Amino acid sequence: MTTGPGPTHRTPPTAQAGRAAPATIIFSPEQLAEVRRLQSLYPDKRGALLPVLHMAQDTFGHVSLEAETYVASLFALSPAHVHEVVTFYTLFFQQPKGRHVVAVCHNLSCHLAGAQRIIAHCKETLGIDVGETTADGRITLQAVECLCACEHAPMAQVDDRYELDLTPDKVGRLLAGLA
Amino acid sequence: MPRLTIDGKPIEVPAGTNIIEAARLLGIEVPHYCYHPGLSIAGQCRLCMVDLDNAPRPTIACNTQAADGMVVMTDTERVRETRRSIMEFHLINHPLDCPVCDQAGECWLQIYYMKHGLYDPRMVDDKVHKPKAVPLGPHVMLDAERCILCSRCVRFCDEITGTGELGIFHRGDHSEIGLFPGADLTNKYSGNVVDICPVGALTDRDFRFQVRVWYLDTARSICQGCARGCNIEVHTSRRRPHHAQGRRVARLKPRYHAEVNRWWICDEGRYGFAFVDDASRLTFPVRREGQAVHELLWDEAIPAVADALRRHQPDEIALLASPKMANEDLWAVRALAERLGTARVAFRVPPAAGGDQDDLLIRADKNPNTRGAELLGLDGDAAAIMADLRAGAIKCLWIFGHDVLHAAWPPAEAFEALTRAQTLIFSGTNASSVSALAHLVLPAAAWVEREGTVTNFEGRVQRFRRALDPLGAALPEHELIGRVLATLGAPVSATRAEHWFRALAAAVPAFAGMTYASIGDTGQMVSP
Repeated sequence: MTTGPGPTHRTPPTAQAGRAAPATIIFSPEQLAEVRRLQSLYPDKRGALLPVLHMAQDTFGHVSLEAETYVASLFALSPAHVHEVVTFYTLFFQQPKGRHVVAVCHNLSCHLAGAQRIIAHCKETLGIDVGETTADGRITLQAVECLCACEHAPMAQVDDRYELDLTPDKVGRLLAGLA
Repeated sequence: MPRLTIDGKPIEVPAGTNIIEAARLLGIEVPHYCYHPGLSIAGQCRLCMVDLDNAPRPTIACNTQAADGMVVMTDTERVRETRRSIMEFHLINHPLDCPVCDQAGECWLQIYYMKHGLYDPRMVDDKVHKPKAVPLGPHVMLDAERCILCSRCVRFCDEITGTGELGIFHRGDHSEIGLFPGADLTNKYSGNVVDICPVGALTDRDFRFQVRVWYLDTARSICQGCARGCNIEVHTSRRRPHHAQGRRVARLKPRYHAEVNRWWICDEGRYGFAFVDDASRLTFPVRREGQAVHELLWDEAIPAVADALRRHQPDEIALLASPKMANEDLWAVRALAERLGTARVAFRVPPAAGGDQDDLLIRADKNPNTRGAELLGLDGDAAAIMADLRAGAIKCLWIFGHDVLHAAWPPAEAFEALTRAQTLIFSGTNASSVSALAHLVLPAAAWVEREGTVTNFEGRVQRFRRALDPLGAALPEHELIGRVLATLGAPVSATRAEHWFRALAAAVPAFAGMTYASIGDTGQMVSP
């Protein structure tokens, strides 16, 4: 689970999350070199599957079945085993996601501090349900489990940023500020 | 070789043996789901917990190798309580739909619950629902709710076939077995995942809902699908014929043989029994005169065959035996050739299409007894027989089972040859384009309806047993040939397959000293 300001294991993305997926699912020569470097770090090269899947998500916008098959080919794994990993983790998007991901915590501390009001406000403001993306592709809304910031409940993670001590007003301004 | 003690009994086992296998040698069963001796260790089901005298907690037996001085206890109160708890976990989301589940009666959830469970369920929440009755491929049906996620099927596809179609997707209590979206379970061994599934999650699409397993009878047999000779069990449904629409063979299951097929069989062999109960089965002898077809009794058919054979000179008669016939039948064919004085005997008919072969079990030669036919001296030139028949040099041909009109030979030439025959005799299990041309048609018993032996490509002679009565008036080929021989005046004392085998073992050095008893259940190699 990502808790800091940004994951450190990702290579510089060649495309911003949310951009339409490129027509062909293929890494650049530089990315392929990075795949080989990552694979060489582990006794069994499949240990590099997570960072390479993140690379695929950053590059292609989401991890489609086609992307899973492509990554499987880079590891000589069956696509089913890459699918196992992608479906296990919640941070891999199997469908196209919005340009921004708003993940509101609804675990115990945030719940007691009013997370349900925050989520309801987001749903009303955006006109979508949890797990959906706005029609303009701007925002994907998620309800997630504890992100380890209980002292600032209720809170949310907006892309790679933590937003703390939320109120409906504050979250409204936040949403309005996302391009 | 480590020496250890299990439940107070000492035993010495080869290094590397795990505790489940060591206990098995003492007749002690350690219950388990995910462990399978043919697959890697997953340690996933946690049911095989045992106590070790020097370990603070119960330990999984599957992933613990026997060690010198180890003291194992498989039946302490703590182990029993652990099993009850693990079983309770396994059943939390299980639908408990045994009354409509095809696995009932051979389900390890049922068996272990009766042995190690029997607790009051404490689960009050709704069960998690998952996909049901999902066809994974042509042969396998998935019910994800019944699955206990032991991963045997996943490991089978990874490690045995190397095809990797299956995976466990999602996580926690949403985990489920499945295929990569859009893929099918179409590998050539897919039926084995049904065998190794300990519960009702993977069932056989051909077998399911046909018959409850406790109505089945079992006979040890050998697959006839190729030259490998995989050891199998034939499961027959004879007790409730009103439910089976004439289908008597319910299913074939692999039978473990360390050197032939281990635990597996291919799908082609597993589902290759439909001909046995097919409507095309020949069930009574027939004489055909022009368009007229006369149904005969054996007491009429045998003399008719003998008369027809007597009408021709020895070198006008040819016998086209089959590598699908048992050793006993082939020896009878050879006795018949000797009695008739003809040297025109062959068994090889080239198939229309080359057979597939792989490194696991499947052999390109789709006949169970090519090696036996070679060793019994029947390896003549079948193409020359057909050519001589077409040229008129051969006037009488007895074909055993072959469909020579659908072989690699030009069908028009083969058809012309057959229509030139003054006497065409066909014996076999099912009607074909050849039986439709034959003047005399003799119904043969299928392999599950009789005893016999076949010799696999490695030279292993293996026995198959009778699972069913022959359909209609069908007879084993050795028996109908024996009757013809007797009518021709030959001294024939053999009436059963075993007698024929005794005769061939006495005459053919490769089989010297072999008996049905010495072949047993694991087969015996021919002498080099």
